[in-house]
Amino acid sequence: MSQLILRHTLKPKCSLPWLIYALVNLLALNTNSQTVLTVPKQVSLSANSSVRELTISWFGGSASTFDLIILRTEFNTTVFYDTISAIINHASGRHEWKWTSAEPLECTSLSVRIRSRDGHATSEWSETDTLPGRDLPSINALQMYPLDSVVEVGSNVTFCCIVEEGKTFKDMLYGKTVVTSTRLSRRSYASTVVNVKPTNLSGSNVVCRLNDLSLTGAVMFVGYPPLPSDFVCETQDLISAVCHWKEARDSHLNGGRRKTRYSVNSRKCDVDRLPLTCSLPLWDGNWTLMAVNNLGHYSLSDSAELSHRVRPVAPIGLSSIVHAWNATLMWEWTSEGYHTLDLNCQVEFTNDQSKPRNFSGVGLRSVLLSGLYPDEAYTVRVRCGAQKYFWKWGDWSQTLSFKTKPDVSDAPDVWMWMNKDKTGLVVWKPLSHHQSHGQITGYEVTLWNPEDVEQHTQILPPNTYSVQVNLREMASVGVDKKVFATVIIKTITGASPPSRVPLQFIDEEPSALSKCVFNNSRISLFWQHSASNTCNYLVEWLDASCEHDCPVKWIRVAAGSTNLSIESENFQPGVRYNFSLYSCPSDSPQLIKRWQGYTQELVPSRSVPLSVKSQDSDVVITWGEIPLSERRGFVLGYNVYISNGSELTLLANLSSGGMRRHIVKGLSAGTYKFTVKAYTSAGEDTGTTASVKLEPFTDALILEMLGVLGIITVLLVIVTFICYKKRKWVKKAFYPEIPEPKLPGDWSRPQGPLDVRPSPHSMVHIVDKPERDLNKEALVVIPEEEEYFEKDEPVDTDEPMSLRYYNQVVDDRPIRPRFPDSSASSASSLDSAHTDVTYTGIQTSGSSLVFQPDPQGSSEERPPEVVHYDGGYKPQMHPKVLSDDAGLKPSNPFHEPEAASSVGYKPQCSWHLDSPTDAETGSLAPSLGSPTSIASTQFLLPDGDEDEKNKQQLSSSAATWFSNLLLSSKP
Amino acid sequence: MADRRTRSMKSSNLSRTAVNRASMIALQLQGESSKLLELYIQKESFPDNVTDARLVVVPPPSSQLDARDKLWRLHSALLQTQSLLERAIAKEEEELGGGVKGEYENQRKMVKGRLSILLLSTGNLLKAVDGAASLTPSLEGSELDGPTTLFQLKLWLLQVFREVHHWSKAAANTLQELLGKAAEERSSTTRVRSTRSARR
Repeated sequence: MSQLILRHTLKPKCSLPWLIYALVNLLALNTNSQTVLTVPKQVSLSANSSVRELTISWFGGSASTFDLIILRTEFNTTVFYDTISAIINHASGRHEWKWTSAEPLECTSLSVRIRSRDGHATSEWSETDTLPGRDLPSINALQMYPLDSVVEVGSNVTFCCIVEEGKTFKDMLYGKTVVTSTRLSRRSYASTVVNVKPTNLSGSNVVCRLNDLSLTGAVMFVGYPPLPSDFVCETQDLISAVCHWKEARDSHLNGGRRKTRYSVNSRKCDVDRLPLTCSLPLWDGNWTLMAVNNLGHYSLSDSAELSHRVRPVAPIGLSSIVHAWNATLMWEWTSEGYHTLDLNCQVEFTNDQSKPRNFSGVGLRSVLLSGLYPDEAYTVRVRCGAQKYFWKWGDWSQTLSFKTKPDVSDAPDVWMWMNKDKTGLVVWKPLSHHQSHGQITGYEVTLWNPEDVEQHTQILPPNTYSVQVNLREMASVGVDKKVFATVIIKTITGASPPSRVPLQFIDEEPSALSKCVFNNSRISLFWQHSASNTCNYLVEWLDASCEHDCPVKWIRVAAGSTNLSIESENFQPGVRYNFSLYSCPSDSPQLIKRWQGYTQELVPSRSVPLSVKSQDSDVVITWGEIPLSERRGFVLGYNVYISNGSELTLLANLSSGGMRRHIVKGLSAGTYKFTVKAYTSAGEDTGTTASVKLEPFTDALILEMLGVLGIITVLLVIVTFICYKKRKWVKKAFYPEIPEPKLPGDWSRPQGPLDVRPSPHSMVHIVDKPERDLNKEALVVIPEEEEYFEKDEPVDTDEPMSLRYYNQVVDDRPIRPRFPDSSASSASSLDSAHTDVTYTGIQTSGSSLVFQPDPQGSSEERPPEVVHYDGGYKPQMHPKVLSDDAGLKPSNPFHEPEAASSVGYKPQCSWHLDSPTDAETGSLAPSLGSPTSIASTQFLLPDGDEDEKNKQQLSSSAATWFSNLLLSSKP
Repeated sequence: MADRRTRSMKSSNLSRTAVNRASMIALQLQGESSKLLELYIQKESFPDNVTDARLVVVPPPSSQLDARDKLWRLHSALLQTQSLLERAIAKEEEELGGGVKGEYENQRKMVKGRLSILLLSTGNLLKAVDGAASLTPSLEGSELDGPTTLFQLKLWLLQVFREVHHWSKAAANTLQELLGKAAEERSSTTRVRSTRSARR
């Protein structure tokens, strides 16, 4: 307005003062205009709900800055309040400003007011203009906004739910997660989902739930803008263009109307499925791809000459002309342009692993496939590419199958096995189809002698690979004549070249067998080349345990070779193989070297035959060899064990080269088990166990006893001899002369025993000591009543007994003269007895030893057994026997009457066992046989029972002999 | 329900084998539609309390209906269900599909095929009880206004799948009921005959 005023007031021909005045006035006017700003009028609101954009336009006069306030109408909440610079739309003359709402514009009504601003000066607010929301009372429905939105990954999206009148909002869910809600108006609620993730084809649901279980919702699709790559165009028919590209990133917007739309050079491309291609009818040379989806668009360009982008079509109409060893392959092109195109083609054999064969030429339509096998089926296909500007291989053609024609077979590989008896096998290897060149109809085997015309021909059916031969049946075969076998393979197309092999038994054995080592079922053999040998070699192998008609395997080796590596699936573990190297196998095979080995050594499958024998206290263990086929490895040695219950204790480890014998020495009597186990490098076999029982060595024992008896005998002889030689000394030492008793006075007294009656009250207590039993044997208790009471009344056993004892114990003391004093005699007897005797209450101690028999009673009532007790030493007594035998006269006139009538004392040389008198006396004999002595009791034998008597008899005999010996030595 | 007949009809007119077979198909469809529902709810992460609504409109069930009327009612409902399902599948492919063939899509296809077989079976049963009667059940009620938003489409799809499950279950029950009645009628007839023969 002020400008218009200025235009009307200024005149062109004004003077300078007027100009200055005008400027001052203008300045003043301007100052006034700042205070009076135009109020914006005709505010208009235009909403683009899909992008939540509100366009506000107004007539704002001359102002360029405005204050803008946006309020949620219902709650009068300020959503936006700021000073903005609006531009004028020259077409409409209105100021315009765009505002993007965080919430969908449908959520609630928005009110807008504007005022002009110039510095600090502002105009009045404009009239309020309202954008009605969908929460107006007139729209009483449950609603959700935005509907079916498509947003980019990572965005924050606000949804609002407008509930029906009278209904209560409950919550909002994103998927199954409740999101926080804010109230925008009485019926409108908003929730924001932040940093959204890509969704699947059908999008994610945002659900608004009310308390009455009713619900509504919206679907949100989250993805990326399109991002195509690798955009290229090429031609196949040399006219049109086919463009290809890829999607570098999944947009996640692949469902329904949200798919990416493509166009090339503004031509819409229908790309419902992969690969992404678009065909153009002509070669443009420059192409632009445009990819568009809900979130954006992307474009790529490409340009090329046609000849540089030729990817030939697939050849069609393949055909072939087939021969035995080659075939010609032909095809056609669909486009005439290919007839002049320099092409590079590949032929691939799809039924084998060979590499494709390359061919090239202008307009190539046929190639010759050489190097084929006869009677073989082939399947081929072809593809081509431009030779000059190679771009890509074209598509493969359809496959073509053909079969080459058959041909005659290769010569068979023949070898033989001959036995010692001129029989054997002619063996040949089966031919592969590549070698037979057709169907084999049979084999022809001919045995012939080079020096004779005689031939034996045999036709064999196919699938036969050996034939038995017997050279003895050939009449022309002599000792030195060679016989060959020739084998020919017959096919439909004819006979193969013949193969021959000499039939001879090769019995030579090499000086030493080499041991070969397998490594992973592969064996390597080495030998030295002989310069004189110009023939080929042949290596044969077979099971070493085979001896007759053996199934041999072989390999031919070129002349000059020095090694061979054999790998066969037929090698079995635990089988020993012989490998033989022959030279000149087709003419005169010579064995050059032989090896033995196992692919894998195992423990022997059988144990050694074992025998165990005992030899005195030794055990000899011997065993045999394991058969070759059951060794399953080189036997390295044998372990000899002895079995101790469940445990085996190693006795010896013997190498296989040594003797199979082992001796275990110094065993005591008993049963022993021995186990022998052979072992290979794989370990021990299960072993054989044998047992042996060692008896006690009886012969030796007997010999020992005899030896001891012999030694004893010799010693006795020596002792006897010495005793004989020293008999005087012995006699003096052991049998000194007994001096005659010397009586100083008249010792005559009435004949008869001294009657010494012991006091009835005398008692003798014998303290019995077991260790003195031998000595007490001589104590004979004579019942008192028998001696002194000859009465009929019963014997009172409580009565003290008179003791009569005969001491036979050696008295070392010097012999003293006998005194008539009975007590003294008794004392002497007592002294001589070393018996522990305690005397109590003995009143007449010595008199008790002298008894006084009644002659009458003794002769009638005392049987000879009384005499039986009479043996032994009876000093100064007169046994009743004497009364019975009164007629006997003493033989020795020098004997004193007492001595003659008494057996109490006898010099050792005075009695004779074999005296008839003794024999007659019967019971008296033992007493007589027992020599008595005062000084010594060595030969005084107790008269016990009969056995005792017999023993005494023997000892008496020996004593007699000894006594006689001593007597005889008397001078 | 169109073309209703008033004449009474006995269950024994039906082939027991045919009814049994249809019943088996219905049971199979019941299981398959249950699985389809499960897959769909899982795919869409629907809240648990989405309200159910009937899309198929048929007369209410009544104990007064004879076997033929029950068959008619069932067949009509299944026809509506089939129409709904075909529309639902087409609409889903158009708006939400992307040519993917996953487990859900395969199950959906299987249910669609099984429903067609069940319809054939019930149609044959109807022919058996109603002679050469024209089988043109009304599709009234199945022609609904299409959903306007994708969320509404999803809810509608859920309701369609529920209808399939509901009517497959109803078909199984109805056919089992028919089987039971046929057996009862057969046994009562046998009893009457045996009583008569006994009197003679």
